[in-house]
Amino acid sequence: MGDIGLSQYLMVGAVLFVCGVVCMATKRNVIGVLMGVELVLNGSNVNFVAFSRYTPLGLDGQATALFVIVLAAAEAAVALAIALNFYNNHLTIDVDRGNELHG
Amino acid sequence: MDFQALFQQFLHGGVAEQASIFDSVSIFLPELVLSCTIVLMLVARLISLDRLIPTHWFAIFGGMTSFILVLQQFWKLSMNEAVATKIFTGLAVHDEFSIFFRGFLAFFLVFVVALTVLTGIPDDEDAPDFYSLLIGAVIGMMLMASANHLLMLFIGIEMASVPSYALTGFLKGRRQSSEAALKFVVYGAGSAGVMLFGISLLAGLLGTAEFSELALRFDAVFTGRSGMQDPTVRYVVLALLMIAVGFAFKLSLVPFHFWCPDAFHGAPAEVGGFLSIGSKAAAFALLVRLTMSLGGYGSGVHGTNTLNSLSLSCGLGLGILAIATTTFGNLAAYSQQNIKRMLAYSTIAHAGYMLMAVSALLVLQSVQSDAPFQLAHPEGAPRAMEGLLYYLSVYLFMNLGAFSIVALIRNQTFSEEIDDYRGVAQQAPILAICMAICMFSLVGIPPLGGFYGKAFIFASVYEATNVHWFMWLVLGAGGLNTVISLFYYLRVAKTMCIDLRPAGAAEISMPASSSPALYVMLVAGMVVFLGIVINPLSVVARNAAHAFF
Repeated sequence: MGDIGLSQYLMVGAVLFVCGVVCMATKRNVIGVLMGVELVLNGSNVNFVAFSRYTPLGLDGQATALFVIVLAAAEAAVALAIALNFYNNHLTIDVDRGNELHG
Repeated sequence: MDFQALFQQFLHGGVAEQASIFDSVSIFLPELVLSCTIVLMLVARLISLDRLIPTHWFAIFGGMTSFILVLQQFWKLSMNEAVATKIFTGLAVHDEFSIFFRGFLAFFLVFVVALTVLTGIPDDEDAPDFYSLLIGAVIGMMLMASANHLLMLFIGIEMASVPSYALTGFLKGRRQSSEAALKFVVYGAGSAGVMLFGISLLAGLLGTAEFSELALRFDAVFTGRSGMQDPTVRYVVLALLMIAVGFAFKLSLVPFHFWCPDAFHGAPAEVGGFLSIGSKAAAFALLVRLTMSLGGYGSGVHGTNTLNSLSLSCGLGLGILAIATTTFGNLAAYSQQNIKRMLAYSTIAHAGYMLMAVSALLVLQSVQSDAPFQLAHPEGAPRAMEGLLYYLSVYLFMNLGAFSIVALIRNQTFSEEIDDYRGVAQQAPILAICMAICMFSLVGIPPLGGFYGKAFIFASVYEATNVHWFMWLVLGAGGLNTVISLFYYLRVAKTMCIDLRPAGAAEISMPASSSPALYVMLVAGMVVFLGIVINPLSVVARNAAHAFF
């Protein structure tokens, strides 16, 4: 196998990203879609931290990862509030049932 | 360098072109004032002060103070009492271009708050929440306009987006509103995630996240490489495409426009107006700054073959998106029955027109070198940017006018269907005439402001045809689309002004001296004014454009 280097970390990041995108594309439940978004964001966090260790990006990468964690939390809070509000009005959180607006 | 020296440098500056921390804070004052406004509004509700002073006065006062502070900075820069600098150790930049957009956004904030006061969309109970979200989004947009770092780019976009999701779903009990917010948040979160992954790839490859260093590193990495066989080239194309997804979402470009009509349809018209103007303007500011930085602005290297071909391919790629976006937006708007949906598609189409200006800018920029070409078009690229800024300024008034009239009519008839607008002119001629002015200006009929915006942009695209033949297609698509758009805009004007009001339709009354009527007359008056008196604004726009050249 050899040593663990940058490319191994990037591979983990890429796998997380692809899992997240597949999750966003296939899940019909809003919570599932939001979990996909979290996977994508954390895939990029792995990238940032790996780049900060192995490339001249330096501390910028780690700082970015910290900010992204905070932003992801804020975004998740708003998204869950909106999902709850959708449930109150529609009695479901299936994204396919949001089909009144079209055209 | 020991810690003491680093700390002193942090406090007092000393790095070339960077302001010290105190200067940075004083330049950041407009945003700080807005932040304090949010805190004040929330505290005022806590101690029941909002029963004495309505919350919207806080919001209007904060917005105006912020606008005046930006004006002061603009004055200082144009009088050469201050110089363009990077603030906060290079995270953000302070130049004429960022000042233009910060002023634009603060000014727009005041207008939107005034509109919500007139239409009464947040009731007294919800007003602090509504205005906190609104001002929070504006702060995020201001950060987007002055970002100089990939981290700031992402923070700005998120700060502008997250309050927008909540604003879209602000009418909590309505099914349509909650559906609109859900669609908006799902698309928005997804595209932000993809964009962040693209940012991480780009930052990792180039080893820097600061805009002004991107071009230098890019040149070093890619000199001598070409063709899609090279894995590094494929890698960077992938990264740039992912970043483009985030921008395409913010600008509602085809094929990432699906959220736009649904969000506008479900959201209150005031919020629709806010999103269609504010977030578009901020995203264009960011797009221009990022692409210009990649093309070599502010880095000391420019005109190398690598950077020129990067600018050219970015410009042509955006040109393809612009053609698809305008064409799709105009064709889809044609069959809409709901006025807010129609305006949403018109917003998409207008994002396409403005993207043509960015495309022309980059294509013209790509010949800025020692080649003899430069002598023929030394002013081409600045003029494209001037056209973009002029168009955005006119667009502020014409789109805000249209959305505010929709909101005012909704308050009286509870309907947003175009069919219910028949014969409004007989009962409320002010509304019908102002709407007709906004619609004519959106088409681009002289002598209204929209005509000069379009004329500036098409002139730049024409100039860019000298560089690359593809711009002829862009120019043709722009002209053809203007003709298509004539039909659906004029349909609204005809419905309101010529058709007869059917018997039994809801009464609309809007006396000419009431404050909503004065508001729409002011906005529509500005549209006419900007079509007659072009010079002051175009001089300001040219000054802002010269931040880059």
